[in-house]
Amino acid sequence: MKLFLLVLKNIRRNLLRSVLTGLGTMVLVVVVIMVWSILWFLDEQTKEKTSNIKAIVTERWQMPSRMPLSYAPELRAGAARKPEHVRPLDSMTWQFYVGSTEPNRFGRETALFIVGTQPEKVLTMFDDLDTLPPDSPDRQRLEKAIQAMKTNRQALLIGRERMEAINKRVGERLKVYGMSLRGVDLEFEIVGVFPEGRWNNLAVMDWEYYNAAIDAYKRRPGVRPHPMTERSLSIVWLKTPDTRSFTAVASQIAASPSFTNPQVKTETLASGTAAFLEAFRDLIWGMRYFLMPAAVVTLCLVIANAISLSVRERRKEFAVLKVLGFRPAHILGLVLGEAILLGVVSGLLSAAGVFVLINVVFGGLKFPIGFFGTFYIPVRAIWWGLGVGAATALIGSLAPAWIACRVRVAEIFARVG
Amino acid sequence: MTIANDFCVQLRGIHKYFFRGSERLDILNGLNLEAPEGEFLALMGPSGSGKTTLLNLIAGLDKPSEGEVWVRDQCISAMSESQLARWRTRNIGFVFQFYHLLPVLTAYENVELPLLLLPLSAAQRRQQVETALELVGLQDRMDHRPGQLSGGQQQRVGIARALVTDPALILADEPTGDLDARSAEEILDLMAELQRSLQKTIILVTHDPRAAARADRILHLDKGRLVDSLPVEPTPVRRSPRGSTRE
Amino acid sequence: MTDIFLRNLGWITAVLVLTTVGLLLLARIPLRYNIRNLRVRWIPTTLTALAFTAVIALLTVMLAFVSGMVRLTQMTGHPGNVLIIDESSNDEAFSNIAASDVGDLVNLPGLVREGGRSWVSMETYLVVNQLLPHARAGRPNRRFLQIRGVDDVRMTALVHELGLQPGGDWFSSAGVREIVGPNGQTITAIEAVLGEGIAREMARDRSPEELAQAKSPETLLPGDIFFLGDRTWYVCGLLQSAGTTFDSEVWVKRSLAASIFGKNTYTTVVARTPDAKTAKQLCDYINTQYKKAAVRALLEKEYFTSLQETNQQLLVAISFVAVILAVGGVFGVMNTMFAAVSQRTADIGVLRLLGFSRWQILGSFLLESLLIALVGGVLGCALGSLSHGWTANSIVSSGQGGGKFVVLRLVVDAGTLAAGMTLALAMGAVGGLAPAWRATRLRPLEALT
Repeated sequence: MKLFLLVLKNIRRNLLRSVLTGLGTMVLVVVVIMVWSILWFLDEQTKEKTSNIKAIVTERWQMPSRMPLSYAPELRAGAARKPEHVRPLDSMTWQFYVGSTEPNRFGRETALFIVGTQPEKVLTMFDDLDTLPPDSPDRQRLEKAIQAMKTNRQALLIGRERMEAINKRVGERLKVYGMSLRGVDLEFEIVGVFPEGRWNNLAVMDWEYYNAAIDAYKRRPGVRPHPMTERSLSIVWLKTPDTRSFTAVASQIAASPSFTNPQVKTETLASGTAAFLEAFRDLIWGMRYFLMPAAVVTLCLVIANAISLSVRERRKEFAVLKVLGFRPAHILGLVLGEAILLGVVSGLLSAAGVFVLINVVFGGLKFPIGFFGTFYIPVRAIWWGLGVGAATALIGSLAPAWIACRVRVAEIFARVG
Repeated sequence: MTIANDFCVQLRGIHKYFFRGSERLDILNGLNLEAPEGEFLALMGPSGSGKTTLLNLIAGLDKPSEGEVWVRDQCISAMSESQLARWRTRNIGFVFQFYHLLPVLTAYENVELPLLLLPLSAAQRRQQVETALELVGLQDRMDHRPGQLSGGQQQRVGIARALVTDPALILADEPTGDLDARSAEEILDLMAELQRSLQKTIILVTHDPRAAARADRILHLDKGRLVDSLPVEPTPVRRSPRGSTRE
Repeated sequence: MTDIFLRNLGWITAVLVLTTVGLLLLARIPLRYNIRNLRVRWIPTTLTALAFTAVIALLTVMLAFVSGMVRLTQMTGHPGNVLIIDESSNDEAFSNIAASDVGDLVNLPGLVREGGRSWVSMETYLVVNQLLPHARAGRPNRRFLQIRGVDDVRMTALVHELGLQPGGDWFSSAGVREIVGPNGQTITAIEAVLGEGIAREMARDRSPEELAQAKSPETLLPGDIFFLGDRTWYVCGLLQSAGTTFDSEVWVKRSLAASIFGKNTYTTVVARTPDAKTAKQLCDYINTQYKKAAVRALLEKEYFTSLQETNQQLLVAISFVAVILAVGGVFGVMNTMFAAVSQRTADIGVLRLLGFSRWQILGSFLLESLLIALVGGVLGCALGSLSHGWTANSIVSSGQGGGKFVVLRLVVDAGTLAAGMTLALAMGAVGGLAPAWRATRLRPLEALT
């Protein structure tokens, strides 16, 4: 305790240096936490689960995946044809429609990326939305919007950012001009907004509305068959309770005679994501093995510098302490304690600050990597901040602390006298 | 305004005071002083008598609250700070108690420092530095760093540095205060010799009556005024509060 | 902010370099005074310079990555080429042009013609899944492979100005050849021409047995085989494609790709005109007057330039990170310089008494900080330069879907090094200013007591 008070006093003595070191630690911890948050999220997304597995069925060879809509019923049933076949717990279809709020312009202020699906599946299949507590305000708002979609075929559920980008509000109507499929223009009424998070830029419509629009388009005279009309189904999502049932469903689909042109493949969402992220392999590698170490090394150096400066200035004082009976271990503890206290406090403050700043003020970290556009700082980052602060402080102060505790009393006083 | 006179230093009606809160602290009280060209003047007085403040005023490092400071024909108390900086380079040489040499520079480089501010060629500088070091008898120690020199030798470098710009006035603040008796004696001999041969005006601030005794004239400062004569009492030589080498 | 920084990089560099040179010329306090002090205090000097080194090395590598992407997209495409895709797509990945519509495109005005043939390349660009049964542990078991099915491979090569590496050949008119399988049976293999980059990439995911028989452990070579879409493929040649986006493509006869992967439409028609001006005219003609097919035209150069959107996003992210790291480094150098100032108060006092002005003191300390920055920056640039020539996989995209998987080479060029040194000097200047300012505020006499 006494030692702790001494440590505190020393930190306060050269307040300017302590503050500079603390600030340096804080900004560098910010980099570490941001990069770490992105890597952690990507790792989580590609980690295979053992229960409640999401399976993703897509066209086997081509990307982007395009399957006939006629595949939908059988795929949603997991291609279960016999009584002993395993059936998925839940399912949904994805049909992509890209449009613009202005007929001849396509840009950030006009573009809409809309998924046609079964509205109620938003509540049970969408990541993060399926785990909302039933009594949370987000969940209740979302349920209300889904309810509205069931009665209004032209209802549109949209992410907040996209809605703001096209300058619309809930309750407003809008016309969207088809970009992925020229000639198929749709009209919507915005009935709700996704809870803040990863769906901020997506929009969801009722698949029946979209498919009716495609049918009407096909019936127009002079329209030739187009891959986007003939094969409008992009993805089918299935939910299975465990690995065994996933494997069973996957092999049922593979064995089904219905899916030959085109062929389809079934994989877990995690492995699909991993394959997709493979394109960014080197970028992620660089973040993990270059950016992070560089930030950590810089941090260690800044701390080592600050501590060695203060040890150098206090050599005489350490000699006095030794004369007073302090053992080298005490002095070691004094210097390490000072560094680690500074590191822990700065790391914690920094992590808490970046958590609030990124998640609340900036609404997420914009870093487009494949279909992930925005990243959030997880709560656990607070502990990372603490850990990184403490660890780098320890590493950075080891050598100076060693020098401090090896101070030779006679030498120091000889120099003074 | 220029006043023709034969004095090297002339102080007229100098007051120097500070305010601590509403209380006025008088350091110098209506002080007048005149030092003719070529005089070796010693200023004595107890701590807190205003010796250093007086020296600062003469060096243009501080300004009087009232009164004028003239050095030769210039009223330095009216000059701006940047004018003073330039003026000091050419007109004042300092000798300090703790030598104050730059520890990373050699004796030669330390002496050369003030010349760097003057429009001189490298060859001219070299000649002046060598002359100055020769005058103090250190021509064979030119490439030594201060840490490699004894206290007396360091002070000689300090004196060479004060001389090198050929200033009219040399101000010395306890130049022997940090030296043992023998080295102090040598330094005083050197200063007296230089004053004689080079006709420099020297103002020496000291506690030490033995040092003061070398001067042409001794003035005593007490409570901010010059007192003509005060009984000379031996005071102990001040000890160094810090090491001569850098930590 | 990042944009402003990058656009004015030249100016910022100039200002910093001029400041440094100016300080050097005007300084009356000799530089060796600073250098010797830095040497005496070698521990903080080294630690601070190393912190700079880490930051600048990282910046150099990150910028080298972006430069590599920029060079890739700049080097791909011919100024006389016009890229034709269907009118509702903004990328060839989503394009569909019916077979009946492409035939007329050879009659477009302004095309280069030789021996009665227009220089027009008919292509189907596909991204397909390649299963990787021998993928190493921890790696995905499939990859996205870019296939370009072409009607006439020689014409396509002519239009894109790509040649073959020695020892290879274009695929035959049938596009397939009989090869002897592992058990002595005859297999009809599909002939493919591979980009250099993808040939190296695919060589990494072979089984030990395949590797044992491979001509080279580093890359697939003509005569090697690989597996894709339930078929065996035969490498008949490698493209001289380094530095272009074609480096990551597999070229194959279009009719075969269509049947294997189930895509019967064309995606892309590339038409060659003699020069950029004619190309522009052809683009305008197609986009405004040509009504025979629902297509739109882009200058090929502009198309590849549009793929640089990814670079912009990356640059923003990199600059953001670099600035934060730099701020950390600034705090480091501030610590060092504040300590230097407080340790040298006596020096400062003497210098002031000798007649050195506040500005000269400021300049001297600023110069010292810049010296640390210079050393750290040069080391950082040198370390970062080691990344020159590394290959990396990435995606270039226009930010609106689509895009290309590419293999790029990191490029450390003069601009990258200038950016690195600029950031280093800026860090030194910013970090040195406050301590140098404090040095000028010291009162000379107080400094000496």
